[in-house]
Amino acid sequence: MTTNSDDLKRRLKELLITGLRLQDVAPAGIADDQPIFVDGLGLDSIDALELVVLIEEHFGIAIPDEEVGKKAFASINALADFIAAEQSRGA
Amino acid sequence: MQASAPQVVVTGLGTVNALGSSVAEFAAALRAGTSAIGPVTLFDTKGYRARIAAQVHDDDAPATLPRALRRRSSRSDVFALRATAEALAESGITDAVAPDRIGVVLGGTTGGMLRAEECLRARIEGRSARYGADPIIGAPISVSADVVADVFDLRGPRLALSTACSSSGNALGTALDWLRLGRVDAVVTGGTESLCRMTFAGFNALHALSLEPCRPFDRRRAGLSLGEGAAILVVESATHAARRGARAHAALVGWGNSADAHHLTAPHPQGTGAILAMTRALANAGLQPADIDYINAHGTGTPLNDAVEAAAIGIVFGEAPHLAVSSTKGAVGHTLGAAGAIEALATILALRDGFVPPTVNLEEPESEWALDLVPGRSRDATLRYALSNSYGFGGNNTSVVLGHA
Repeated sequence: MTTNSDDLKRRLKELLITGLRLQDVAPAGIADDQPIFVDGLGLDSIDALELVVLIEEHFGIAIPDEEVGKKAFASINALADFIAAEQSRGA
Repeated sequence: MQASAPQVVVTGLGTVNALGSSVAEFAAALRAGTSAIGPVTLFDTKGYRARIAAQVHDDDAPATLPRALRRRSSRSDVFALRATAEALAESGITDAVAPDRIGVVLGGTTGGMLRAEECLRARIEGRSARYGADPIIGAPISVSADVVADVFDLRGPRLALSTACSSSGNALGTALDWLRLGRVDAVVTGGTESLCRMTFAGFNALHALSLEPCRPFDRRRAGLSLGEGAAILVVESATHAARRGARAHAALVGWGNSADAHHLTAPHPQGTGAILAMTRALANAGLQPADIDYINAHGTGTPLNDAVEAAAIGIVFGEAPHLAVSSTKGAVGHTLGAAGAIEALATILALRDGFVPPTVNLEEPESEWALDLVPGRSRDATLRYALSNSYGFGGNNTSVVLGHA
């Protein structure tokens, strides 16, 4: 599956909003480099668990541990890079 | 009460219920004899015998909550958080007492059940493939007390009590015990409850819901009307309150509880548990029946409860022409786990502001009860001491005695 980076980022933002029920957030309101957790979008560690499941369900990519998760969930940019790298590795 | 035990006073009040979104709004509506019982819009009531309840329409989460918590809080949590914010702001207790000396004890019966129901329904109907964590981790009855402690940084002892409709009466009593034992310097206590399908369907199935707004103590009474909301009290010792210059609204002077050990839904026909709870509360307060000027009755409007409670009051208080007895459930509905706290708040306002809240919707009192049931309209009265009764399914009986600070 190929997808260009902007499409992937938009898809990730929509997934965050619908998957984590962020009713008061619009995709345009999430900056690509904004931290997703704590100070950024204000999500917490329970949201992180849910996001792990969402990424696995939607992209078939497992996030094996907290170390990987921390890097991958730093921002939308980081998450898109992580998914792209995993997909190219599997291809 | 032991001579050495401290006097306990109430220095903060907060509420959200169908009559009002603050203590001031609630007090005004209570005195005006308003009823907040109307059509349920929170969920579809098609197919139920009854379609009404005292629903809270101003139900937004506090805007100041962090996003994750705002999204994660159940309806019960939201009511509790808003009522606690009002009570703490008024009392100023968190500026005066270390966090680990402030306890939290709240009553409730369904916690985050409403969201759990919605989540389950979405899955069954195929609208969602997954449950998500929020509705599940927020479902237990204990969570509202956890969220209150977390948001307001209260680190003392914490309990969530669930004894059906006497839950928050027992919470208030437990708070009083903690203060008398010196385990804490202050307690945030009360109860919270949200309407949900489970309780609505359950009471409906038992034919316990009135098709019209409930009429406590009326000879045509045909059941209860459910309600929802929260009431929170900040309580501390009188000397502690005086030392820090806090305004005390009332005193929490005693409590008692008992079990019917009789039936899962019906009260004991002789009211033995109700009588025991009232007499224990009076003894605990060091008072005689003649000292009580007002009883905020459990008064659900079901044929059985009101008959047994009226008879039990007659046995404990005898001929008491000065005694007024009213039920506020025709106004604010039966809020189950929050009822003890909301009704204790009504009783505190009655003592503080000098009035007897009316039994809203009562038009034709049963003639066999020689009780002043305050039909329809409130009246001015100077009250010395008052009792608040809460009786729950399973035979859970609690009475709380309140007086002037």
